[in-house]
Amino acid sequence: MVDALERITNLVALLLETRSPVTLEQIVNELQGQYPAGESAARGAFERDKAMLREIGVPIESQVLAGSDAGKTAYWIDRRRYELADLDLTADERQALQMAVAAARLSEGEFGLLKLGADGGAAATVVTNIPDAPALPALREASAHHASASFRYHGTQRELHPYALLLREGFWYVIGLDLAHDAQRTYRVDRIEGDVEVGAANAFTRPIDFDPRQAFPSDPKLIGDEPALRAVVHVDAPRAAAAVADLGDEAVIERLDGGAVRVSVPCTNLDAFRSWLFGLGRHAEVIAPPEVRSSVAEWLRSMVVAG
Amino acid sequence: MTARRGPRPTSERLRRLLVMLPWLMERGEVPLAEMAERFDLTEEQLVKDIELVSMCGLPPFVDELIDVWIDEGVVSTGIPRVFTRPLRLTAPEGFALLASARVAMQMPGADADGALGRALRKLAEALGDDGVVVDTPAPPAAEAITAAADACERLRVSYWSAAADEPSAREITPRRVFLDRGRWYVVADDHRSGETRTFRIDRIMSCESTGVIDQPREVDVPDGENWFADAGLPTARLRLLAQAGWVIERYPTRSVTPDADALVVELTVANQRWLEALLLRLGPAARVLDPPEWTHLGADAARALLARYEAEGSEAS
Repeated sequence: MVDALERITNLVALLLETRSPVTLEQIVNELQGQYPAGESAARGAFERDKAMLREIGVPIESQVLAGSDAGKTAYWIDRRRYELADLDLTADERQALQMAVAAARLSEGEFGLLKLGADGGAAATVVTNIPDAPALPALREASAHHASASFRYHGTQRELHPYALLLREGFWYVIGLDLAHDAQRTYRVDRIEGDVEVGAANAFTRPIDFDPRQAFPSDPKLIGDEPALRAVVHVDAPRAAAAVADLGDEAVIERLDGGAVRVSVPCTNLDAFRSWLFGLGRHAEVIAPPEVRSSVAEWLRSMVVAG
Repeated sequence: MTARRGPRPTSERLRRLLVMLPWLMERGEVPLAEMAERFDLTEEQLVKDIELVSMCGLPPFVDELIDVWIDEGVVSTGIPRVFTRPLRLTAPEGFALLASARVAMQMPGADADGALGRALRKLAEALGDDGVVVDTPAPPAAEAITAAADACERLRVSYWSAAADEPSAREITPRRVFLDRGRWYVVADDHRSGETRTFRIDRIMSCESTGVIDQPREVDVPDGENWFADAGLPTARLRLLAQAGWVIERYPTRSVTPDADALVVELTVANQRWLEALLLRLGPAARVLDPPEWTHLGADAARALLARYEAEGSEAS
């Protein structure tokens, strides 16, 4: 038996070079003695080879034949689909990409760089840890080719026209039109269960003015369906500067003697608001509106009771 | 010996081969050592793969489908044939490249019209549109900090520390800048403590040059999950209900153990004030199991704060 690598290399060469699609019978014949004898053993080995080639990204085309070979499947590789498009990167562009990949330290990115003719290992002053999730590559392809994406999320099957992937605060989100709801929805990519199924290309058009940064408020305190609500918060001197730096000067209602401030803060999403508030530790107190103030007091009371 | 066959699966060898061959064909000949290093193989592994492809063949090119040989430490090819261009980028490679570049565009000093911006546009076009948006802007101080790290320049900074609960002046020599979970940090020599410390860049309120240039020094960037782990910081054991589960994604944990409908988590605690604020945010959904001196931390903080809300005719104190 020849080394499996030799057989598969020959298989790729044959499928790339053939003038017309070849059946398994023809493949076995061309690669004399490299596939095991007997049709079912040969079929099994060939299917495994094919699966491996697809896994590393070799696109294999197939068609069912008519005529004298009616019903048989024939295979080939379309060179235009197989080969890397020439990106025409200049030396400085290649180097910039190299720095970006060195900072991110993703092994798939490093291998991609090799294909683009750039070197792998550069040392970087800046390191960027990019969160990973198995669904990301398929979702990106779906978004790029305007194909629908189907996946399970919290136990429910969803179908989405994915407009974009957004990385924010250490999480990847996919934002798009949810077909069941006919409304825009945002999903956390790391919460997707299992594989993403990608539909046919050009199934949708991304709205021209779509901007994921707008579609999904950067401030979690603003996420929610309620009308926009704001609270007045008193921040003690030690954290006043930090709070103002976070909210912006326009949020300041009043500067008090001794360095404390009163600020106006969105509180549409009460959970996010509370999280922000308590991030300031003991140095922040809600002044108004009364219902937000009492809900915060209630939260604290439940903690005291729980001991 | 063929003992290497186990650890190097055929798919991995083939994947590399389909990139190596076109690269070699474009050059004609390359020193073995250089080629091995570039493709992250030992020379022995490379020789084995090259010898193997030199035996590949189909009619009419039996045994000479790929014209490649090794002589005196140099790998050579004859007429480029069959594998003249690398295999296209796979979905994971395309994603990783785009995401790396998009994140790098948020790095201090990145320029949309610069080399990276142009590379990104070409890449996005080749990969059929982009679809990746990154929103993790670097804080204002990041550019100066990164420049200082490149130059080994010592800075005087005003840093708000959670432990002290107030800004303090200190001198640091930035070494490496890193982004983790949406926040930017700098690993620096802290000249006040004489140690290597990690600082949050958004808490650096101001920075100025001291004019001092220090010796270059390599420092490791804390790695993903456990970047607090070596710092000798205390650990707290918490019981978290489902609605507090986000904590394990947001903060470094030493262990996570499911316990009925809850999680028991060992969390690295930078300082007591940080834990106190976290407990206030989590409310009744979290309880400290260990150490004993922290089991009442959340309730005590809540009681102290609640006093402000319950004080007679209270507003702010």
